[in-house]
Amino acid sequence: MSRDGWRKKASEDDGWGGRGGYMAAKISKLEEQFQKDAPREKQKDGMSSCIFSGVAIYVNGYTDPSADELRRLMMLHGGQFHLYYTRSKTTHIIATNLPNRKIQELKGEKVVRPEWITDSIKAGRQLSYVPYQLYTKQKGLNFTSVCARGKQDPSSSHEPSKPDLNHPESDSIKPQPSHTQTLSKEVLKSTHANHKANFTERSKHQGSQDTLLTNGYVHPVNGALKPQDSFAELQLHVVDTGSHQSHLPQTESRDREESSCSSAGSKANSHQRSLISTASPAKQPGLHNMQKDLHPKPTFKPGTSAAPQKGNLHDQKRVRLNGSYHMTPNSSTLADSSNQPGRSGQGAEAGIISEFFSHSRLHHISTWRNEFSEYVNSLQSRSRAAGGAVFSGKEKLKKLKANCSSGVRQSCILHVDMDCFFVSVGIRHRPDLKGKPVAVTSNRGPGRVAQRPGANPQLEFQYYQRKQNQYRKVPSNGVDLDLAALSMAEIASCSYEARQADVRNGMFFGRAKQLCPDLQSVPYDFQAYKEVALSMYETLASYTHNIEALSCDEALVDATKLLVELGVTPDDLARAIREDIKEKTGCSASVGMSSNILLARMATRKAKPNGQYFLRSEEVDDFIRDQPVSSLPGVGRSMSSKLTSLGVSTCGDLQQLSISRLQREFGPRTGQTLFRFCRGLDDRPVRSEKERKSVSAEMNYNIRFTQVEEAESFLTNLSMEVQKRMEGAGLRGRRITLKVMMRKPGAPVEPAKYGGHGICDNFARSVLLAQPTDSGQLIAAEAIKLFYAMKLDVKDMRGVGLQVQQLEGSYADPSGQGPSRGRSIKDLLLAKQPAHSPRKDPLAQGQSSVNRTEFFKSTFSSNQERVTPPSSPPSTSSDPMPGTSKGGLHHPHTPNHVRTYLNVSIEVPSPSQVDQSVLEALPVDIRKQVEQSWRHREEQPSTSSHLSTPPRTSSSLPPGPSLGTLVLQLPDQPGQPCTTGIILELPDFSQVDPEVFAALPRELQEELCSAYRNKGNAQAHAQAQGSAVEQKNPFPQLKQPAVGKLKRRYKKRNASPAKKGPSPLKKLFPGNSPAKSSPSKTLPLPLKHRLIHFKYIGCPSSPSIDVPETLSKLNPRPVPTLAGAYEFSDIRTLLREWVTTISEPMEEDILQVVKYCTELVEDKDLEKLYLVIKYMKRLMQQSSESVWSMAFDFVLDNVQVVVQQTYGSTLKIT
Amino acid sequence: MATLTRQDLNFGQVAADILCEFLEVAIHLILYVREIYPSGIFQKRKKYSVPVQMSCHPELNQYIQDTLHCVKPLIEKNEAEKVVVVIMDKEHHPVERFVFEISPPPLLSISSETLLSHVEQLLRAMILKISVCDAVLDNNPPGCTFTVLVHTREAATRNMEKVQVIKDFPWIVADEQDVHMEEAKLIPLKTMTSDILKMQLYVEERTQKT
Repeated sequence: MSRDGWRKKASEDDGWGGRGGYMAAKISKLEEQFQKDAPREKQKDGMSSCIFSGVAIYVNGYTDPSADELRRLMMLHGGQFHLYYTRSKTTHIIATNLPNRKIQELKGEKVVRPEWITDSIKAGRQLSYVPYQLYTKQKGLNFTSVCARGKQDPSSSHEPSKPDLNHPESDSIKPQPSHTQTLSKEVLKSTHANHKANFTERSKHQGSQDTLLTNGYVHPVNGALKPQDSFAELQLHVVDTGSHQSHLPQTESRDREESSCSSAGSKANSHQRSLISTASPAKQPGLHNMQKDLHPKPTFKPGTSAAPQKGNLHDQKRVRLNGSYHMTPNSSTLADSSNQPGRSGQGAEAGIISEFFSHSRLHHISTWRNEFSEYVNSLQSRSRAAGGAVFSGKEKLKKLKANCSSGVRQSCILHVDMDCFFVSVGIRHRPDLKGKPVAVTSNRGPGRVAQRPGANPQLEFQYYQRKQNQYRKVPSNGVDLDLAALSMAEIASCSYEARQADVRNGMFFGRAKQLCPDLQSVPYDFQAYKEVALSMYETLASYTHNIEALSCDEALVDATKLLVELGVTPDDLARAIREDIKEKTGCSASVGMSSNILLARMATRKAKPNGQYFLRSEEVDDFIRDQPVSSLPGVGRSMSSKLTSLGVSTCGDLQQLSISRLQREFGPRTGQTLFRFCRGLDDRPVRSEKERKSVSAEMNYNIRFTQVEEAESFLTNLSMEVQKRMEGAGLRGRRITLKVMMRKPGAPVEPAKYGGHGICDNFARSVLLAQPTDSGQLIAAEAIKLFYAMKLDVKDMRGVGLQVQQLEGSYADPSGQGPSRGRSIKDLLLAKQPAHSPRKDPLAQGQSSVNRTEFFKSTFSSNQERVTPPSSPPSTSSDPMPGTSKGGLHHPHTPNHVRTYLNVSIEVPSPSQVDQSVLEALPVDIRKQVEQSWRHREEQPSTSSHLSTPPRTSSSLPPGPSLGTLVLQLPDQPGQPCTTGIILELPDFSQVDPEVFAALPRELQEELCSAYRNKGNAQAHAQAQGSAVEQKNPFPQLKQPAVGKLKRRYKKRNASPAKKGPSPLKKLFPGNSPAKSSPSKTLPLPLKHRLIHFKYIGCPSSPSIDVPETLSKLNPRPVPTLAGAYEFSDIRTLLREWVTTISEPMEEDILQVVKYCTELVEDKDLEKLYLVIKYMKRLMQQSSESVWSMAFDFVLDNVQVVVQQTYGSTLKIT
Repeated sequence: MATLTRQDLNFGQVAADILCEFLEVAIHLILYVREIYPSGIFQKRKKYSVPVQMSCHPELNQYIQDTLHCVKPLIEKNEAEKVVVVIMDKEHHPVERFVFEISPPPLLSISSETLLSHVEQLLRAMILKISVCDAVLDNNPPGCTFTVLVHTREAATRNMEKVQVIKDFPWIVADEQDVHMEEAKLIPLKTMTSDILKMQLYVEERTQKT
């Protein structure tokens, strides 16, 4: 089992060859001993398992149980024990105590307390090591480190159900691009190692073919996902071909833009700028597909850039680009962005939403709540599994309170809340700031900034003040502040000292600074927040598991049982908890206690700061009478203002109102709740997991659309975000609500806060779907409909939110391969699967890029006399007929999936746009990622946004025997057993996507080729295939002259001043841009396979991975859609609207239709195609404008070409 | 079908059974509609709750059955891409090709009985389309014959040689002239997408039939 690299190296060196050789030999010998001893040990001790398979521990220093005992345990339970620490092989370091030096040294390693092992054995499975980590520094906010090593740690990466707090987002949330980068690199490394026959740990552990299979299959993916090396070249290359592409108008417009831009700005800028508008449509799909692709679910391409591509908009666009438009995070350049702080083309950049949420501070923090909930859940389930948990804190308390005074027990809820959490964490290690007014904010300057043009802070301030007055009936204090120069950075949290000076959370820093000139600002420190929050939860969990996580800094504890058991008073318990927290985190917490949640929370108010308060049931009535109504949950600004108008300010006042009155005023439910709450009645239980009522995504920062398309694409992206979240939560919803913030008429165009929304009116509209959904595509379609129904001016949009309500659990397979229906058949398929070799399941075959077709017939003549067939020896019958290789053309157009591989760059705002302090506050990994992407951008300014529409694949080749022979030569002998391990895992060559292949680095290509050669095939085929790809023309180019002609005509016409509104196609198409006419909406199958595999690379030690299964779950091609419509009736409506409302069709729309038709051909839905064509013919030829007839001819010509290529004959159009 | 438990239910076989049954009906109906045989040999039957025409000539029926019997294993293994009913004129040049293009279903699943009735509806629609296809097709010249071609995927034929389903019913590679039609026009008839199979039927018609 351990015939690994060590041994080899040692034998190669004669003698010891230095320390390395000796040590290697020694280690390998020790390992052998270990292996030898293991079975003996297992025999001796009856119980053994392999819960630690894949785990290799190294014990550092004194531990309890001792190192020897641990060694024995590892033997028993399938693990490895290393006497010497090897970074590459040792997965966990076991220690109870480590000096600082060592901690520094072992940064990034998993240092775990020995309890992890003992508890895991107790639990009978490998527990997550996270709660057992020795020191909290290793709890990163980032996924990367975990994942990169995840292959050795099944517990953290294989069981998404098990919450791992190291994952800032749950596993089901799609990984960040950066993560993939790291991962792919990691994998590359390991596979290279494999090639040197230097098998890594995992293959050693597993040794099974399973691992090998995964490893081998990785190759194409790796190469494709390793963009950095070949990035520039490839992109340039693609762009070259891209300029020949269908989107002639775009190409031309780019030229125009380029020329105009170069006069306006620097060369680099102009280049980039032009790319924003022209190349970006091609690039964006790639980029976002990339992101999406990591997601094995059937997603459609998120609406890509809305960079307007309409021919008649080009001029306008150009102007804007020269002006202020191009401040997009993806492409802005340093020089320009500093001049143009005002604008950011939000909608133009898809992925900005993911970006926004992945970097949003608030979002980070808010996701923690779920994490902690999960953490608590996992604690509970673990304790159930272990048959009772060990509560260290509880034990301690028990010892302390041996002499108990057991009183009357009623339910007791503890509300534990950290005192001004962000501040106290922030100044934890800065004793100099203790006792001073401190605020956590992103601004660290003096609180003054220059005013930006277009902003009118005074007006906004007045507005807010008016609004406040209206609610609060508090006279304005009349301070006329020099607001113009004040920082608008909000204060996330401020210390009690600052609060005394009337500084409040959420206040703008500039204003706070005026109120309290001594105010110190502390930057965000997410890492620390997380650490502290986690240790708070750990502390609580050491008492009981009845915890409800409310947020990162507060939790509810149901201590009823605990108190009865321990016989201590709530005050004792609270004191113990607070001391514990203080000791472990260095931050103080307040605890409120009472008989229910409501009162406990109210008690906390009284307890603060750094205190505790037990609200006894007999005191409740007096206590609550004086509480302001606003302290009741659910009573916000609007309700409290309403209550104020009823003359109610305290709960006592509220008690005077009858329930019927309340219900009349606030509705039956709210009324009743208020009625109960103001009496201190609350029967909500402490729930460790709350049911979600809605899933939403909202963004009201930096929303500046200039065109409808941008808004559409933004909505699409937002829908994708919602989809992601719903998938993460495993929910589907029926009601979709679109919330829009619109600039209030009269409000300044540019709000005082940079990128802020300013003064807004809120609008919301919702729609109820027939069936619950979690499809982003559907949500987007609905949202866009709602959006149009609201008839808003996109320029005034300042915030957009999408909410999905009426949720129900999605019973879809968590791996998300499709609706639930797929499940019933799965067993069946699984049963069937083994008959095929893994790569040859019927579906994969059906979609494989090469279909060799052979024709067989049996003849029968009309006189019922069987024609004796000529003798047909078996050998000849399998020879393909030349010229009959039409089947090769049946391969559906699956263009441009390769593009998606190439773009792993993340989108980040330009450096100048980023608040430095926020950046610094971000976790190291995220920050590095951001910085790296800047660097990368600088290095490749001209290529980074280059990716043009892909050349289409084989279907666009002219049909004929020549192609046929090429295709037929391709080696595609499936399932032939191979002798060497690596080759065994190679996918069938016919399944290797040539474009992926072309994108591979040279070494890998060669490696693959030789591997295939070994398989009995010639490399020449691969190269031929590769070059064939290069030569392939995109299909529309076949019709290039036609396009050109048409276009010229249009140009002439468009010179007329008459401007047309957006065409219905555009309107309805989410994120419409002509770039979408490249049929990249769907994720082509081969890619999906690979990504599925890719996803597993990180964790190949999982025995549960079943390759055939993953293949069998592959996705169907999504139904072709035209502007989101796929039902024929919708298509018809759309077409009719298009033809009847627009006097002249635009090329983009026509191309859109052509693309749709092409997709129909690919989808083998000729019937619908026929109907669509016939309908268009009727519509367009009836139209008075001759240009419509021309448009139809153009569409028809193109469709006929495709049909001809696919079926060898053309449609009969009568 | 109802008696079968899920374990017994081989997905491929079920789909192949359904499809072959349908193909048999369809071939009979095409022969009737395209007037390859005198209408006297056809009888009216009911299938998929619609009237269909079925030949009662035993040898013809046997031929069709044998053909489909051989096609079935291919369909089961998803190795048949197209089943083509070619109608040829006296010179054995094809004038019409009825192409049943079979693709794997977008969603693989058999969930319930309702599904089968859904499939039946789809097949019925296809049958009805065939029965009225003469409206969109030109008349065939007299004296036509027919033949059935199967377009297989990849190396399915080799396996076929190994395992001949019916000993005296071998298949041969089609002549080029049977397969190709000059100036063919394509008329899509019907597309169906169900959970167990996806199929489209189109007719390729020679522009000049006589």
